[in-house]
Amino acid sequence: MDLISILATVILVTTIGTMVIGVGAFAAFKLRDKRKPSKAKSGVLQNQAGVPDPIFLKPYLPPELEKAALELE
Amino acid sequence: MALKHWVRYASTAFVFVGLMGLLTLSYRTVRENEGSFSALLENYVLAGVSFYLLFFLVLLVLRYAVFIIYSFLDHLENLHKQRNYKGPRYREENSLPMVSVVVPVFNEGMVIQPALRALLELDYPNYEIIVVDDGSTDDTYDKSMAVARTSKLIPIRVVTKRNGGKAEALNTGMTLARGEFILNMDGDTKLTRNTLRVCIPHFENPSIGAVAGNVKVLNRENIWTNIQSLEYVEGLAMARKAQSFIRSVNIIPGPIGIFRKSVLKQVGGYDHDTFAEDCDLTLKLLMQGWHIAYEPRAVAWVETPSHLLDLIKQRYRWTRGILQATAKHRAVLWTPRKSGINCYILWYMLFEGILWPFSTLLGNVFFIYVSLTMGMATLLFFWWLQLAVLDVVAAAYCVIIEEEDPALIFYAIMFRLFYINITDVSKVFASIEEWRGKSMTWGKLDREGKL
Repeated sequence: MDLISILATVILVTTIGTMVIGVGAFAAFKLRDKRKPSKAKSGVLQNQAGVPDPIFLKPYLPPELEKAALELE
Repeated sequence: MALKHWVRYASTAFVFVGLMGLLTLSYRTVRENEGSFSALLENYVLAGVSFYLLFFLVLLVLRYAVFIIYSFLDHLENLHKQRNYKGPRYREENSLPMVSVVVPVFNEGMVIQPALRALLELDYPNYEIIVVDDGSTDDTYDKSMAVARTSKLIPIRVVTKRNGGKAEALNTGMTLARGEFILNMDGDTKLTRNTLRVCIPHFENPSIGAVAGNVKVLNRENIWTNIQSLEYVEGLAMARKAQSFIRSVNIIPGPIGIFRKSVLKQVGGYDHDTFAEDCDLTLKLLMQGWHIAYEPRAVAWVETPSHLLDLIKQRYRWTRGILQATAKHRAVLWTPRKSGINCYILWYMLFEGILWPFSTLLGNVFFIYVSLTMGMATLLFFWWLQLAVLDVVAAAYCVIIEEEDPALIFYAIMFRLFYINITDVSKVFASIEEWRGKSMTWGKLDREGKL
């Protein structure tokens, strides 16, 4: 077997191998891309029009002001 | 939309049926000569592919030759300019025009602080930094604010907004910018100190609307990133420089691009309808007749994907994004007289985006078939060798011009041996999915904090 034939065999094997790796890697990329955390089914309450209800958070008050507010109530 | 898809499928079916018709007509001749239909089909296909690959090879050699000649001419022009440069129009430091550096960031907490600190070191007397936090869910905003608080000389403004994509963040930055010029960059990019000093003089030419900078790979740590660094060097030192010679750079890279603010406003800023907003904006500038220059001394150091799947994710987005941007301006493809150089730029982009990866894959499949069925593996070797020789010559030229590490030339062999086969497969799939109009997401890469 001469040098050219050996090199040709190497290139043939490498080309087939890398094309297979290319297809496999693309499939893996698509699989990884598709996997996403599923959305929470019942996290947000909606009104009849389908608009999410606003969430009212308790405003932060410094302890001394909160105490004063409680005293006023 | 559905009608559009049907037209696409119908036109493909029409071409397919036409080819089948031609073959059926030929079948009569075969019957008369008592030949085998499969042998005829094989001959037809092999002859057709051979001629096509020969045509592609001629195009490829021409492409390399023209790019090397033009980029060398641009190199000579730059050397001549530097030798005869009389200094800036504005000689006083205080009269240098103001530049707004816009940094759009989304979850760049790992790299934002070194990137901002590098920006504070820029050698330019009159600039501001605007960080646009595009609704990050990590500590990007806090980390940016921490650097902003420590900066006494250079004003840093950090704004945060709901997540709306990079194009929207860049447009926000453009609206807030107070400078006459805007430098748009990525949050994971580190600029060299001289960036503004070497780019601003280009704007003394009133027809220059934007300047594209040089992008280099920072994390040269494994074979993937080393091959990418060669790819960047080749893409910029050869293709971009050649395009710069005719003042028609076709992509101002996302990591470093300087624009006249008035020009950005004239073209309406960045659009949201492509995944390659930098390419889209560049095409809009070119269509408006603005010239775009390339400045090799303004270097942006970037982190590139160091894992195979991240690399494929990046190339998938680039391919589809470039095809989307090209499709937006497709009318120009058919009006060479009216559109002039822009028409050829778009055809060239289609050649690089579609024809090149399809043809190299087709060549590989063809020669593998010939090797396995006819035992002529040497043909595959010579096909590979001629492409590898082109790569090595281009790599050697670019490494010399860019004064890069000569070891990069070795990676030209690796590039041809496996890298290009793998990336071409993803480019071909990306083109097919774009043609089918499949939905896609941005696909942000995970940063490793190498800055």
